[in-house]
Amino acid sequence: MVTAQEHGHVLESKLRTVASELLKEKKVDLIIGYSKGTIPQRSSPYIARNPADTSNFIWNNLGYTNLAKYLLAKRKKKVDNKEVDLKIGVVAKGCVGRAINQLIVEKQVTRENVVIIGIPCNGMIDLNRIYEAVGTKEILDIALVGDDIVVKGRGFEKKLPFNENINTLCKACKIKTPPITDVLIGESNNLPIDEKFQDVIAFEKMPANEKRDHVQQLLHDCIKCGSCRQACPFCYCKLCFVDQNKPVWFNKTFDMNDILVFHLIRSIHLAGRCVSCGACYGACPIGINLNELTRKLEKLSKARFDYVPGMDLKTPPPMMAFKLDDDQGFILEE
Amino acid sequence: MLADHKSDQSHAEGKKAEWQPKIIAFLCNWCSYAGADLAGVSRIQYPPSIRVVRVPCSGRINPYFIIKSLLEGWDGVLVSGCHPGDCHYISGNLVARRRFAILKEMLEFFGIEPDRVNFMWVSAAEGERFSNMVKKVTSAIMKLGPNTQFARKW
Amino acid sequence: MARGNIGEFFLALKDEYDIYAPVRSSGNHVNFKKVSSADEMTLDYLNTTIPPKEIWFPRVETLFEYEIHGQDIKVMPPRVSNERETIIIGIRPCDAASFRLLRKFFDYGTFKDDLFKKHEEKIALIGLKCNEPKKTCFCTSVNGSPHKKEDFDVALTDIADKFVVEAITKKGENILQKLSFLKDASGADLEKAKQSAIKAEQAITAKFDVNKAANIVNDNFYNALWEEISTTCLGCGSCSFLCPTCHCFDVVDENDYANHRGRRIRTWDTCQSTLFTLHTSGHNPRPSQKERCRQRIAHKFCYYPNNYGVIGCVGCGRCIIDCPVNNDVRDIIQKINKIKTTQ
Repeated sequence: MVTAQEHGHVLESKLRTVASELLKEKKVDLIIGYSKGTIPQRSSPYIARNPADTSNFIWNNLGYTNLAKYLLAKRKKKVDNKEVDLKIGVVAKGCVGRAINQLIVEKQVTRENVVIIGIPCNGMIDLNRIYEAVGTKEILDIALVGDDIVVKGRGFEKKLPFNENINTLCKACKIKTPPITDVLIGESNNLPIDEKFQDVIAFEKMPANEKRDHVQQLLHDCIKCGSCRQACPFCYCKLCFVDQNKPVWFNKTFDMNDILVFHLIRSIHLAGRCVSCGACYGACPIGINLNELTRKLEKLSKARFDYVPGMDLKTPPPMMAFKLDDDQGFILEE
Repeated sequence: MLADHKSDQSHAEGKKAEWQPKIIAFLCNWCSYAGADLAGVSRIQYPPSIRVVRVPCSGRINPYFIIKSLLEGWDGVLVSGCHPGDCHYISGNLVARRRFAILKEMLEFFGIEPDRVNFMWVSAAEGERFSNMVKKVTSAIMKLGPNTQFARKW
Repeated sequence: MARGNIGEFFLALKDEYDIYAPVRSSGNHVNFKKVSSADEMTLDYLNTTIPPKEIWFPRVETLFEYEIHGQDIKVMPPRVSNERETIIIGIRPCDAASFRLLRKFFDYGTFKDDLFKKHEEKIALIGLKCNEPKKTCFCTSVNGSPHKKEDFDVALTDIADKFVVEAITKKGENILQKLSFLKDASGADLEKAKQSAIKAEQAITAKFDVNKAANIVNDNFYNALWEEISTTCLGCGSCSFLCPTCHCFDVVDENDYANHRGRRIRTWDTCQSTLFTLHTSGHNPRPSQKERCRQRIAHKFCYYPNNYGVIGCVGCGRCIIDCPVNNDVRDIIQKINKIKTTQ
């Protein structure tokens, strides 16, 4: 069994070699991956345009951004005076790979223009958990040592077990390597999808007023900045429902209901599409635990439609299809 | 937002039985609206709690309509369309069925009482059935009380 | 004032003042909230997640309300409860400087914002000097300092078991007169305070020159640097919402058709959003993230100094910590500085 630290280390050097080769052989125009951040607790999305740049790629379990988001921008280059799409390589962990597949199915990305560099992910560190352990002090260093996360600051050092302090979504994740890859670094570490969603089922059994109180408590600090929306690869509408004014669907105040409606409608839009990457949670500046909503969406897609987003390029997602015998247990009978 | 029902609320204090919920009903033109019409023509009595909005097909119903209705203060929402397989536009209600399913699941996740938002299939011949459903929905919502939690406060 | 005196501080002032203090919520999130006793607050923190600008520039403010009677529209001032005198205790020098900077914007020549002035008059700042600047703090590069006290009404210096309390303005003196438990500071106390000031300034590691950035518009408006910086920007706006000096707002009408009434509100907005400069004609002068990222940097380091004579950034570092893609303003300024002047 490889330790968490070794896992990342081995992948990092393989990744740099592979990325450099791809750029040398001009199989891609640029590669998007992660590089070391300017603060210890984040990695920075990084674009390598030539082989020398690839030495900056890292793999350190702090890459929260879903890189598939960057494929949505239409990037072109000039070849013989004609505008041609760029060929983009993406360093893709499981959820990023699934997001790319789902975007291809939704016709936002062309399969031929993307080179999926699959990398077997072992989970992203949950920053809010780390903050909880560290309190109000400043973090000066985060590193993996063996199977522990070692967090250092002025006058303190904490050791936190890696497997307990990764994102809840990563803990339950079974598709850790993209299902479709053009190049695979290392070996796939995917597991059979047999999630039972006990946490979601337990929540659903609560009476309505308790659920309401819990969700209100969860979201009451939301400042509606929209970072979760901007970080999500599936939020690509040219005019978001938030900004529609013919008619106005919900108001701009910070009344609890206006906050709830934003998250409610965004969740509905993501039903059957969300790949549980946790980018929304990573982007939220307030630290709201959006994972609870993501888990519900994951369960909804699997339990109701037996669909896991982004596994292949053929199966139509649930909201783009229907069956004559769809479940209608929720329909009122006399 | 619904016109202030202050007078309704003063009745509600102590006399809950007199309070009449305001339920918005989205009925598809070809089946459900015709069914409601049949109930009217047949003089079938049912509580005057619903306000009907006619839509061409249940597939036209945007989940936002339902959410906005709750925000505007409606005590309940009723959505009705043709039976699956009988849609005037062939597949409108089939598309709508999945949409309603996820909407209902997410509304319940956010703590909205399940009885406030109701979906059903009513055909043009089912006048009596329509009135029975409205009676059922009205009494369920009367038990829940007025929608104060999700109505936007002014 | 001894650390334990904070409770008495509340007892003396809470009848007359609304008191905002740092309150700890989950993780390392501390935010200013209205408190009524010392148990709810903490002065043992580095800086808040959400800046205190929401106290003098609330996230949502009603500009006016209206009622429609047939053809007539009656416009009424907003229903606001009478604001009491307000004290913000524990505010840092950078955030206090942001209060001064926002005053430049909301009270400029003939442009006076009534709503802001109503808040401003009632606010007094009891600031807490910084002993432990973060690695992301760069106040000294923007004419600030961890022990700067000029923007406070009362300055507190933390010397472990005690606070050294100093009135800076008349408002501050009035407040201190109400606190009978204050004792004179000893020579040793003052020396400790002086030493922590020196230590704090030395602890700031992020130092750079922002003067070159003041000429972005004239010199480097079309530089390829902006494309490079903005490629990974998501346009999420975290930087604007959490910035103590960002003050752009949107004005919208909210209607209650059924009751023939409505109100006009203003809410926080961000120049990083695509719609921020979208004209009704469909033209958008800042069509891509490149223009929007450039705008934010230019506004803070070029337009503000040129228009108001002060740098529009206080060096708190919140944008650095909270940017989901780790776009770092320190890096950006240093890249600007490296641009060769011969264009």
